[in-house]
Amino acid sequence: MKPKALLGIGAAAALLLSGCALGGGESTDDSGGSTEGPVTLTFQSLAYQDSTVAATKEIVDAWNKDNPDIQIKLTQGTWDNVHDQLVTQFQGGTAPDIIHDESSDIMGFAEQGYLADIGQYLSQDVKDAVSKDVWDTVTTADGKVVAAPTLLQTYVAFANVDAFKAAGIEVPTGDQLSWDDLQAAAKKLATGGKFGVGWGLKQPTAAIMNTALGFDGTFFDTKDDGSATIDVGDGEVAVPEKIHAMAYQDKSLDPVTLTQSGTDVLPGFLSGKYGMYIGGNFLAQQITEAAQPGFNWTVLPPLAGSAGPVQAANPQTMSVSAQSKAPEQAAKFIDYFMNAENQAKLAQGDWLIPASAPARDAVAEQTKDTPVWEPILKTGDDLAGAPFQKAKNYPQWKDQYATPALQQYFANSISVDDLKKQLTDGWQSLG
Amino acid sequence: MTQTLAPPERDRKTRTTSVAPVRRTRTFARPLQYLALLGYVLFLGFPLLFLLSTSLKTPRQLQSGDASFIPDSLTWSNFSDAVTKANLVQAAGNSLYVAALTTVIVTLLSLPAAYALARFKTKLRGLATGWILLSQVFPFILIVIPVFLVLKQIGLVNNPLGLVLVYTVWCMPFALWMLRGYVAAIPVELEEAGAIDGAGKLRVLRSIVLPLLAPGLVATSLFTFISSWNEFFFALVLIQDPELQTLPLTLARFVGAEGQVQLGQLAAASLLATVPSLVFFLFIQRRLTSGLMSGAVKG
Amino acid sequence: MTAATVRRRRKRGDGRDAWLLVLPALVPVVLISVYPLVQGILLGFTDAEAGLNQVTNFNGLDNYEKLLHNELFWASFRIGLIWAFGVTIIQFLASLGLALLLNADLRLRWLARTLALVPWAMPPVVIAIMWRLMLNPTYGPVNETLRSLGLPGDINWLGDFSTALPAVIVVGVWAGMPQTTITLLAGLQNVSGDLHEAAAIDGASTWQRFWHVTLPALRPVIAAITSLDLIWNFNSFALVFVLTAGGPGGKTMLPMLFAYNEAFRYGNFGYAAALGNVMVVVIAAFLFFYLRGQARSRES
Repeated sequence: MKPKALLGIGAAAALLLSGCALGGGESTDDSGGSTEGPVTLTFQSLAYQDSTVAATKEIVDAWNKDNPDIQIKLTQGTWDNVHDQLVTQFQGGTAPDIIHDESSDIMGFAEQGYLADIGQYLSQDVKDAVSKDVWDTVTTADGKVVAAPTLLQTYVAFANVDAFKAAGIEVPTGDQLSWDDLQAAAKKLATGGKFGVGWGLKQPTAAIMNTALGFDGTFFDTKDDGSATIDVGDGEVAVPEKIHAMAYQDKSLDPVTLTQSGTDVLPGFLSGKYGMYIGGNFLAQQITEAAQPGFNWTVLPPLAGSAGPVQAANPQTMSVSAQSKAPEQAAKFIDYFMNAENQAKLAQGDWLIPASAPARDAVAEQTKDTPVWEPILKTGDDLAGAPFQKAKNYPQWKDQYATPALQQYFANSISVDDLKKQLTDGWQSLG
Repeated sequence: MTQTLAPPERDRKTRTTSVAPVRRTRTFARPLQYLALLGYVLFLGFPLLFLLSTSLKTPRQLQSGDASFIPDSLTWSNFSDAVTKANLVQAAGNSLYVAALTTVIVTLLSLPAAYALARFKTKLRGLATGWILLSQVFPFILIVIPVFLVLKQIGLVNNPLGLVLVYTVWCMPFALWMLRGYVAAIPVELEEAGAIDGAGKLRVLRSIVLPLLAPGLVATSLFTFISSWNEFFFALVLIQDPELQTLPLTLARFVGAEGQVQLGQLAAASLLATVPSLVFFLFIQRRLTSGLMSGAVKG
Repeated sequence: MTAATVRRRRKRGDGRDAWLLVLPALVPVVLISVYPLVQGILLGFTDAEAGLNQVTNFNGLDNYEKLLHNELFWASFRIGLIWAFGVTIIQFLASLGLALLLNADLRLRWLARTLALVPWAMPPVVIAIMWRLMLNPTYGPVNETLRSLGLPGDINWLGDFSTALPAVIVVGVWAGMPQTTITLLAGLQNVSGDLHEAAAIDGASTWQRFWHVTLPALRPVIAAITSLDLIWNFNSFALVFVLTAGGPGGKTMLPMLFAYNEAFRYGNFGYAAALGNVMVVVIAAFLFFYLRGQARSRES
């Protein structure tokens, strides 16, 4: 047995060193060019709502009918596992040609060289349809466009109109709603065992990073090579402080919700326990499905800090694997997928905001009869790229330092100064 | 596990006649026992009941925060939605195919090996024990990628047979370990007696060893079957075709981004995925416990 | 097997027979299990990282030096030990109790026996989602029940720093009871009735009989199943991942979760494998002493 075992170890070591093992995967010599003749490409979609799944299928079917040379094979992934799945598939060289994901997740893969530069293949129409700020979120430091941005999520405040009436206050309208006004409204709504706000912040970091831009809270200063320095000042912690004040001084925000997911908090909003409910705009879909008939709700104007109603854009994305044999054809499909009609269809199923301006107009036109769409679409006008999206160690900092520190702060077990210190020290320890 | 762990062997006859040994005569102990049993039944069964009640509620009632166990009105739509949306029937078929094939292969491969390990005293025994333990200790998640690369090299990605291969290897240590115990529990003398009577080696195995081993085989295959039926991660990375997906993968489709869950449908789908195993258990449990009784847990 | 039976057993056939019988099982094992295992171990001594056409080099003990100073890892290691031992011990006691009841001649045994298998028939992800609902602080049936009993019913089980780990452990116990119960039940049914009767005639109480007859006879089974449970629990993470994802504030960050993040989220394959190797060594060392201790005390 011994010689055999040694042989095995030797073989494994050889494999490892020659790069065939974990580090390697497929050779990519034939990527970058276009393959002649008919091809079949796989497209892994993460569509989740029934309506979006159906819309995706329609789009693919229509494309396949018109393009016999570029056939798309639709496969279904899930948001919950997409990252793990892609890591394994990239390592094994079996990733789908066309990859549906979101910008905060794919930039790491782009860094590792797994995504093709599709900038050269996309049509001018598609490029013009999306704002530069949003393109920024899918462009690497060295200028490669690694995805087409599709749908956007923003954080919005949902309001129970009847609760506002009962408390004798006006439902805020207008172009924006300042955090201070939100706090004031919440305070008035918090009477008789009810709370003004519920906010599912079990995973707080993304929400805090995105909304911090409203107070010029950029956290990082990123250089071209992906290295970054951190600076946690008052702007960065303005939203957390606001949350903390509402939860523990005003007692207008239910602190229990800060430990729960958005979905866990929804029943409390629907049953009138919380006058307002903050979360991703996609939750509108669940509200429409689950609310009792007669439940009177709306979406408040975009939340604004001292720097206006700005939030970080984290669009869903369509990318092409660098391992794909036919990146040009894959990009052609993405180009088609991005057209206004298709994007409008997908956006409505998920209650998300199209990154493409013509598609946004189409949604506005098609949803004239559903007034809550208007403020949701409006939040899409003020989305910007944020430095954290390009900071190399961001995912690790998020998991290991930012999330635990914010959770402790929201549980009222550390002070805001501790929070700043933990966020800063954590980043520095990652070097 | 190791042979030093094995309890003293006893003659099969005494073993089978010594069921239910504790005959308590004191009466006050009885109610306490029933009380304890009730506690266990509640602890173990409560979640199942909860799942059942969830699956019968409408999305509206689920989101109203009404925690009562009795649904307002029974709705079966979650079940029909679950079946159509996640293509449960096809997925169950795939799972059944993979799990059944795995079970058969594991049993066929580990049976002779277990016999050899129990009956022949060779160096293999220590080696096998070491491997069985090591394969259980080593964090599964860290060998996923090498395994994936191997499967790719032999062309079994996106192929149910690839899953069968992985599950076979994954389930074999435990199956082998259990089966070895069962074989060891069969007195060697029985085999020797058969041989003296002039029966060939194969016939001895078939007509004497195999029948005695039957309950053990049932228990072992059950372990294997359930493990393969439930496995999620390998199926996730190995299977890309929607038509080839197994049940756990389709269950994951009811969980969306940011913690969104289609509760009613998930509960319904989970029940549909769980109940067949339970019914199976119900029928097999007598067999199962008597199978384990004859020495499954010996090492 | 006792020494006596081993002695009784003559050496039959030769090594070649054994090899022939074991070979079919060995081939897929070597292909799919040993090779990746060896590679996984070796990987812990390299700087492997995720990336297209990354070159991997051996870097000796660099990873281990780095992780020696990684306080987060050791903090999570401590949590992992509390989790693994907590679940294993409670699981063992609860399962032993249940197995004793199932072994007694009670009505409705079949129901309890079937229910005992319920957790086993469910995928971990479903178990986790289900328990998250049950433990919901506001609407979950657990708090609802506590309230109706007049007990404090507003505990935020999974969200509170002090209750998160205990709550997760209870779910872990629930999820792992079937294997343990069934195994112990089988062991109990193996305990000779004669011994019990003899002890009863000698005037031993129920408790004494349990302590002096049942428990010693069960010992090997207990050692085997608790060792396996410990390994399984230490390596499990799907359940906790869905329940809390390591939160709140890192209170339930199991080491497997930590290593998984290191490999799958940050792409540090070499470092993650090193973490895995350390865990393997610690658990293996513990098992070695535990099993040796068990074997010794049985011989004496």
